[in-house]
Amino acid sequence: MSLVADEIITFSSVLRIAFNMLNGRNYLKRKKFRDKEKLVAVTLPFSDLAFAAGTVPVFPIRMHEFDISRYLSYLGSASSIFGWNAVSNFLSFTKNLGFEKVSKIVDDIIEDVIGTINYKYNEMYDVGIEAGISSDFCYGLKSLVGMHVTKGKNVDACLNVTIRCSAYNKYLESLKSINKAPKQIWIDIPPRNLGNSIELLTDNISNALNEFEKLTGNSITDNDLRAHFKIGNQVKRSYKNIIYDISASDFYPCNPATFSEIMALLSITFQDYNSNAVRYRDNIVSLEKEMRERIRKGVGMDVSKMPRIFVTPMFGGWEPKTHDIIYELGGRTLYADWELLKFLEEIPTAAHTNPSEEYARFLMRATETGIGCDNDKLTDSYLRMATDLNADGIIFFQLFGCHSISNCYAMLREKVRRELEIPITAITFNKIGDNVEQVKTRLGAFMEMFPKKK
Amino acid sequence: MDDSNLLSDFTFFLKEKKQEGIKIIAYLAHDNIPEELIDAAGFFPLRLIFGGSDELMDASHDYLPPSTCAFAQSCIGLFSIKPNYYKFLELVDYIIVSNHCVSDICVSEIISKYFNIPRLNFYVSYTKNENSLKYFKLELQDFRNQLEATLGKKISDEDIHNSILKFNNFKKKLLEINELETTGSEKLKLIHKSMLFGPDFLHDLENLIQKFKDTPQPVSTTSKDVLLTGCSIFINDNLIDLIEEGGGNIVFFDTWIGNHYYSQIIEDNHIDIEKDPLDLLVLKFKNNIYSDHSVPDFLKQKVSFIQKYSENYKKNKGRKLGVINHIIKFCDHISLMSSFLKDSLQEKGIQVLNLERDYSRANRGQLSTRIEAYLEMMK
Ligand code: SF4
Ligand code: SF4
Repeated sequence: MSLVADEIITFSSVLRIAFNMLNGRNYLKRKKFRDKEKLVAVTLPFSDLAFAAGTVPVFPIRMHEFDISRYLSYLGSASSIFGWNAVSNFLSFTKNLGFEKVSKIVDDIIEDVIGTINYKYNEMYDVGIEAGISSDFCYGLKSLVGMHVTKGKNVDACLNVTIRCSAYNKYLESLKSINKAPKQIWIDIPPRNLGNSIELLTDNISNALNEFEKLTGNSITDNDLRAHFKIGNQVKRSYKNIIYDISASDFYPCNPATFSEIMALLSITFQDYNSNAVRYRDNIVSLEKEMRERIRKGVGMDVSKMPRIFVTPMFGGWEPKTHDIIYELGGRTLYADWELLKFLEEIPTAAHTNPSEEYARFLMRATETGIGCDNDKLTDSYLRMATDLNADGIIFFQLFGCHSISNCYAMLREKVRRELEIPITAITFNKIGDNVEQVKTRLGAFMEMFPKKK
Repeated sequence: MDDSNLLSDFTFFLKEKKQEGIKIIAYLAHDNIPEELIDAAGFFPLRLIFGGSDELMDASHDYLPPSTCAFAQSCIGLFSIKPNYYKFLELVDYIIVSNHCVSDICVSEIISKYFNIPRLNFYVSYTKNENSLKYFKLELQDFRNQLEATLGKKISDEDIHNSILKFNNFKKKLLEINELETTGSEKLKLIHKSMLFGPDFLHDLENLIQKFKDTPQPVSTTSKDVLLTGCSIFINDNLIDLIEEGGGNIVFFDTWIGNHYYSQIIEDNHIDIEKDPLDLLVLKFKNNIYSDHSVPDFLKQKVSFIQKYSENYKKNKGRKLGVINHIIKFCDHISLMSSFLKDSLQEKGIQVLNLERDYSRANRGQLSTRIEAYLEMMK
């Protein structure tokens, strides 16, 4: 599908984010062995304290070598000499020359970014099962276990933040059995905001910071925290702008399948900012700019007649072919999991604020009004997000083995039908690529519900 | 195990409670709900400790996907179908939504929403440290407020103290069941009845325990002794029969309705009536160190407990002890830790059977074969 490749290479920021994601292994090795920095395993968007502590957060899959990294490393080398914009222009140029071989390489690099990541996810899933996690658990957890079995020994610590998902919390506990060496740093988020819960959570955060200090031997000041939160806030601002101002608008800077591919890449990389917050901030800020610039110039696609299909949840595992299929069926896919779960809220950084307390408030808001302590709250989050995106329909990925998010579907369907009056359907998911045909059939039937707009 | 008599007696008992104007507060089977507060408010705490069946599990599929734990599915099935012996569920006035695991939340929320039973909330932190104990107290206070709002009046500290003493003494008596010379199924019957009726059963329990002490029922020396850990064997579940038919005998129940419950006993010297009674309930929670709800030390505590118990058992009884880790299919806590528990115990020379199952009838043959093979190997 060279359409996607054609589109993506004109966004040099996307190329950079993809390169940094897939080339993580080299970067991390350099950080660990040359710069003597500490690697800290993170999952879900909980990397803030690791950054503020001066460690290198890593979503463990990034310690793997990815199949296409050889090509990307050529590009990486070229970019360090000529700069990424030049590389991006060069790629567009070579693709347009029509040399089959060059064109093929470019296609391989770009098209396969998400595919390559997902192929690795599937590999990790199999390793997880071999390592003894029951196949009854969700795709995400099986893959995470696989990541820790294969690469977990390379990290110096794991940052474990409890959430309402009991399987996830037990997976966190199991990490010290999988690899004995890494230090386990815990942050417990109280289930509800009662009494002085914020104070307790602030104290839990301070305790975690002490553990980070022991790990690095350096102290962490309030200013370190604020400095990182400021960078994080810029990332979140751009991410939100892309979600609301661009993905929910009627003119896209590229075709909707490409756009979804970019959103999927952001969703994956947002968990650890590709281990470098400043670089990630620069990339996402320029991505927003590049998108706006194209829209301003009228480069892109009028999508006003394409129904907006909100596809969620995707972070625990989803079928990545979905957005291509929806595009082929005349719709566009919107992904916004982190915003739905309130992970894109900014953290106040004014000088008079206590940054640990502000971070506690941030985590508590995500717990209370994002994922929610029960399904009533969680389903409200879906409703809110669908409304904010002005969605015409919802596809809910019901993950086999997920007892937390997937179990809310019956309640969600009822609320959506009653309050939003838009179509919603569930697609069961076990493993990437497992039942694409079934997904196609389900999506085909679902998209029939939207009259073709003239 | 046919528990129809127990359930008929219980129906009668609960109806009487209801006639006395006592409200029934139900909650799922696990181990951190402050039943003492419910009791002090003058309500009856009803622990849902009922096993499942194909029919019950199927009845839950309108609400939850089949990849939900079989116990949770069956709880919904019970409220949905209300089979003959479970008509007493119609008497339930409130259901507690709690987060022992996320299925616990989902199920109690569904029962509340779709079967029109008002809910009360009680949540517990996942870690166990100074701050989570402080948080536990906040939840206790909030729960007390919810109960008081329902009751329309304050619950006195004195009443809470009395209830704490009552349940504490009850647990101490229950602890004696472990030492009785009788089969695991007889012990389990006592545990089930006690956990269902609560301290109202204390007097009968004392008599029954005395009866067993006076006329012990020695267990066949050919049977293999087993410690049951993981998920509980609930009322109307035939698993214990399969174990006994296979030649095993459960000598200790290390589950929610067993060791997790007794481990919460508060030492007498800590019960000071001058103290805030909620602090005693915090202490009780702190004592529950084997609870699978807690991270990050559940596995460590579990392994060390089972190892010690097993060593002592061998020393005192001169017999080897097997371990059956009962995993109700799709149980987050027990299933995820099962391979780690097995590996850690086997490293210490303790043989473990990870026995995973749901409540379907079709499983029976396969379960028997696995149990027999394990017990055979235990020689
Ligand atoms: S919430 Fe669901 S998808 Fe996420 S870790 Fe838990 S079980 Fe997996
Ligand atoms: S998942 Fe396990 S702990 Fe949770 S309700 Fe089911 S049996 Fe109980």
